[in-house]
Amino acid sequence: MSDNQTNTSIDKTPTTHFGFQQVEKNQKASMVANVFDSVAAKYDVMNDLMSMGVHRLWKRYTIDCSGVRNGQKVLDIAGGTGDLTAKFSRLVGPKGRVTLADINLSMLKVGRDKLRDRGLVGNIDYVQADAEALPFPDNHFDVVTMAFGLRNVTEKQNALNSIYRVLKPGGRLLVLEFSKPASAQLSKIYDMYSFHILPKMGQLVANDAESYQYLAESIRMHPDQETLKGMFETAGFEQCDYQNLTGGIVALHRGYKF
Amino acid sequence: MPATALLSAVVESSVNKLLQLDPDSQARLAQLQGARLIAFIDPLPQGVMLVFSEQIDVLMVPESFDTIVAQLGSQDCCIKTSLQTLPELKNTNMLTRLIQQNKLQVEGELAVAQKVSGLFQQLDIDVEEIVAGYTNDIIAHQSMRVAERIGQHAERVFANLATITGNALVEEKQLAAHRLAVMHFSDQVNSIRDDVAKLEARLQKLEQQ
Repeated sequence: MSDNQTNTSIDKTPTTHFGFQQVEKNQKASMVANVFDSVAAKYDVMNDLMSMGVHRLWKRYTIDCSGVRNGQKVLDIAGGTGDLTAKFSRLVGPKGRVTLADINLSMLKVGRDKLRDRGLVGNIDYVQADAEALPFPDNHFDVVTMAFGLRNVTEKQNALNSIYRVLKPGGRLLVLEFSKPASAQLSKIYDMYSFHILPKMGQLVANDAESYQYLAESIRMHPDQETLKGMFETAGFEQCDYQNLTGGIVALHRGYKF
Repeated sequence: MPATALLSAVVESSVNKLLQLDPDSQARLAQLQGARLIAFIDPLPQGVMLVFSEQIDVLMVPESFDTIVAQLGSQDCCIKTSLQTLPELKNTNMLTRLIQQNKLQVEGELAVAQKVSGLFQQLDIDVEEIVAGYTNDIIAHQSMRVAERIGQHAERVFANLATITGNALVEEKQLAAHRLAVMHFSDQVNSIRDDVAKLEARLQKLEQQ
């Protein structure tokens, strides 16, 4: 799956997956961008609807595990509409800094407007950045988080390598991402929900069934818990572990740079 | 873990809502800007961290008390206590005694814990004013008077119940058998049970002969 299963077609054009489709590698980023341009305005509402609010608890748990303290530097990659950044901004205080990075300008704008409306200014930077080539110095951040973003990256291993580079020694990476449900029963229910109900909800609320069809497909194509843990280790992270949340529908992976 | 996250979310929104209802609390909260209070309360499985800024963020702490103590900053306070001891913490004069009795362990900046205690103890919420925002002044006033009367009546009923229960216990206690007498009676019952069992065994033996 993902990077490990990137294929090369007959004409030698490297391909990768976009949901269940095989597309040329250099096209995936723009196709993902189209999806997020389309959903940006309704992103928060749809997240609440699709997960019945549970995504807030998954994110809260990620923050609990981040160990972020006053004065630290935090990078929130694929930070989207700034759910994690809002909390980090208060936790690091005026002496710390939080960088909200997203490859998609529409999402970044929605996040920036939302955080400014809440009065969160002064210690947040907004950077449009590709996770595969982060525009930050080496050993710069104390904590890096990526919530529901990694599965959209074309070369996931490159992204993990890039994150490893910008983390300070002693820093930690937390990746919150959809994963593989632990039980077959839950998996069946989850499949039915994601392939039949989710696109209909997307059509109804955001007038965009295709983007939510992609969401369901991209989740299935994402590496499972153990594969992702292996990718963390390949990037150089140590003491890597993961915790299944809500029966493995989502997993929180954690790794340290020493 | 989503369960603990749910708990911290509920606590966080409740605490912040309460503070919003008292406009004076913002000044007390400002004194705590940048501070952290971490509480390990037995038997809760994890510590709870309160981070103070323009609001209070509540986080669950997966690390142990010792790990957290090793990382304390200049504006941090970490306490370890039990659920039973928690009400006693209201009285700040009791703190020394509780520490001596090993019921309370405090590391870091004690002033943070005292300010947090003050923040909540000095809460002054004008409920009538809040109700008036949804109804009108007269209805709010009347509702509050009714609620007050119900509260006073409930207090009297509970006080009477406590007296009745206390009296009953004292009077019943005189009539009730002593614990030793009950034990002696139980021993006698056991002895008879053993005798009956022996007799039954002998009878069976005789019948077989």
